[in-house]
Amino acid sequence: MKRRDFIKTASLASASCFVPVFLQKEIKRPLLSSRSGKILVVIQLSGGNDGLNTVIPYRNDLYYQNRPSIAIPPNNVLPITAELGWHPAMAGLRDLYDQGLVGILNSVGYPNPDRSHFRSMDIWHTASNSDEYLAQGWLGRYLDSASCRGCDKPYHAIEVDDNLSLALKGKLRNGFAMSDARRLIKTTENRLLKAFSSLEKPAPANDQLAFLYKTLTDTQSSAQYLYQQSQKQPARSTYPATALGKDLALIAQLILAETDTKIYYASLTGFDTHANQPGRQERLLGQYAEALKAFVDDLKSNSLLDDTLILTFSEFGRRVKQNASNGTDHGAGNNVILVGGKMAQKGLLNAAPNLAQLLEGDIQHQIDFRCIYATILEKWLEAPATEILGKPFELLSFI
Amino acid sequence: MTDHLKHLSWRAGFGLSPDEWLTQQQWPLKKALDHLFENAAQASLLAPPPQMEELPEEAKDIPENKREELKERERKLVSQYNIQWLKRMADPAESALLEKMTLFWHGHFACQIRFSGLAVSYLNTLRQHGLGSFRDLLLGVSKEPAMIRFLNNQQNKKQKPNENFARELLELFTIGHGNYAEQDIKEAARAFTGWSSNLKGEFVFRQAWHDYDAKTFFGKTGPFDGADIIDMVLQKPETALFITKKIYRFFVNDTLDKTQVNLLAKQFYDSEYDIGQLMHTIFSSDWFYDKKNLGVHIKSPVELIAGLFRSFGATLSNEDSLLFLQRELGQLLFNPPNVAGWPSGKSWIDNSTLMLRLNLGGYLLNASEINQREKADFEATDRLKAPRRLEAQINWHPFRQWLGKIPQTEAVVLLTNYLLGVQSPLDGAVWNKILQSSDDSDPIEKTLTVLLSLPEYQVC
Repeated sequence: MKRRDFIKTASLASASCFVPVFLQKEIKRPLLSSRSGKILVVIQLSGGNDGLNTVIPYRNDLYYQNRPSIAIPPNNVLPITAELGWHPAMAGLRDLYDQGLVGILNSVGYPNPDRSHFRSMDIWHTASNSDEYLAQGWLGRYLDSASCRGCDKPYHAIEVDDNLSLALKGKLRNGFAMSDARRLIKTTENRLLKAFSSLEKPAPANDQLAFLYKTLTDTQSSAQYLYQQSQKQPARSTYPATALGKDLALIAQLILAETDTKIYYASLTGFDTHANQPGRQERLLGQYAEALKAFVDDLKSNSLLDDTLILTFSEFGRRVKQNASNGTDHGAGNNVILVGGKMAQKGLLNAAPNLAQLLEGDIQHQIDFRCIYATILEKWLEAPATEILGKPFELLSFI
Repeated sequence: MTDHLKHLSWRAGFGLSPDEWLTQQQWPLKKALDHLFENAAQASLLAPPPQMEELPEEAKDIPENKREELKERERKLVSQYNIQWLKRMADPAESALLEKMTLFWHGHFACQIRFSGLAVSYLNTLRQHGLGSFRDLLLGVSKEPAMIRFLNNQQNKKQKPNENFARELLELFTIGHGNYAEQDIKEAARAFTGWSSNLKGEFVFRQAWHDYDAKTFFGKTGPFDGADIIDMVLQKPETALFITKKIYRFFVNDTLDKTQVNLLAKQFYDSEYDIGQLMHTIFSSDWFYDKKNLGVHIKSPVELIAGLFRSFGATLSNEDSLLFLQRELGQLLFNPPNVAGWPSGKSWIDNSTLMLRLNLGGYLLNASEINQREKADFEATDRLKAPRRLEAQINWHPFRQWLGKIPQTEAVVLLTNYLLGVQSPLDGAVWNKILQSSDDSDPIEKTLTVLLSLPEYQVC
């Protein structure tokens, strides 16, 4: 077989997700009840989180051989199984895991991985092949799809940021970016903007202008609504005072206020640990685990966890072998963490990464990340995954 | 007729400063057009960065302990070239048309650049040929180290061809999808083997990596090299059509007029791909000034920023704000999202970018705080939370000279016509209310702030 033929076949195979066949013996469970109150929360770890030091193969000699100075010693790991364990900063995640709320997918990636942050993040955002350039995100295309109920509302998908990610950009519709409801109100309350937005205006001269006016009025009305929603609940007191803690607290406030929003998107950045990884990653994973734990506890105590699915991903994992600066360089396959009250499958959902068979020094993907998207679209958001992703991907069984 | 001058100045450049606006209104439109082309012909190339000499041939030759430091230095230098370029776009003493062409070609030959020497060399190729022959431009870009590195032609060797550059050459740079076969890509990739570069920004042809055997491309067989492939691609009229369509969308209208586009493409092909001639034909055609083409283009972030700074002669106390604005609005020079370039039109707009756009004039003219949390870099250690202030010096002088002795209501009409891409939604009664409001701010400044916060300022 010629090399390029091989690549072709491999990428065809990966369109059905699994290079080795596993999980297929699982009988597909019927869909959960079709109530429309389901909520998806996406947490993006930007910069390329080192998954190998997040869910740690603490009995694997290859892991310790490749990482003489940055491996987590077995005694410090918080064991999950006899093979894998959490980073010591992630006690919060272990606790959620022990409650049966967590699913871990190992070796997630895509064929011909790109090791540029920007490009790989775009691939994750748009669900494209690595040689394909799409201008719309996977959630943006969900918003565009005819079957998306309630998507005409500009706040159907909210990113807690002042900047909208590609993932939430569609052709017809976009998600809504907001990091702070009060500040958003302020930007729309510009005295002058207000003065003329309430005026009788002639019909816009052209389609482009009409679009600008519609976006403006949508933003103004959404800002008002979301601000009111965010004030309905008392400020959350149990969250850590970190950026992600604040963002998740805002999401909880909106969810508790029964805001008409189905998708929330938040990010934590700083994972590009080329140098002095241990301290930095410990701090970030601690922030992640503490904020997530507070969020899940909050939802659970308000009986909302069953309606919520939380997906955590990063644009790539890192090189198995550490570098000379006590850090790791850009890699490929990585783990994805799923949290929810109604996980159909919990715990470790597939095998630990194979450190004996690397691809250019990186973990080879066993699961195409688009299978996770397809599963969420089809089974959680009840949307046509194939249409939205542009081709069929195998559905997984975690929902 | 001022509508036509405004249309030309925005599409062929970045609008006009108040002085240019007042002067050129006195001219026949043809003179304004000639002026654009004359300025472009006189523009000079950029000097390479002096630090280049310190660079070794290859990244691997940089000692590891120097690497981070060097990367950081280069990152800052590329940012400086970014700022300089944006300032040239805003500077009436520079050639607006050439800068606009360079911006267009940067989006077309989209390329992310991390080394300053590579950035200057790439920009100079776009500047040198941006209004010249498309063949020279294409060949020049194909030999640009920035492009060679961005599209992995550095790894394109006879023993193991890398198809990345060849694929984009056909799909995005010349003829477009559907006009070639997969096999053409493979054969073209072989022809470009050995087209390499060094970190000093020089093209290097590596004979040992080049495949001298026969290739079959578009049905012809021979021991072709990259230049032969380019010539064969240019022989196809489909290439002229593909480029013309893209130019039409960028400079005229997102919605193509087939008749006009086909005529232009034929002329472009017959002129042996003379870009300057094509642009001149477009800007001097009556249909270019048809109502359906006026005010239908949503300014790109770079067009918006450059136009704003050109109008107000603004100088910033901290020019990094220009990088901040580009990032937040979604178009950072030297950093297009991918090889397909920036998506345009409505895709610039979401709730967040629109609010920043509408508030931008106010932030600039009143040096107020920007109400926006910055999106963190992947490589940044932490999210930046500090709101930014645009500390700018505005050149009010031309506005005072122009409008100081004119009644307010008349000044409103003149400024509206100067700034807005389409008719104003505000009538006299509204303006009376705005101007008579009790605060004591200067009426000209107030009028300008209002006009800049209108969605009508976002189109041209």
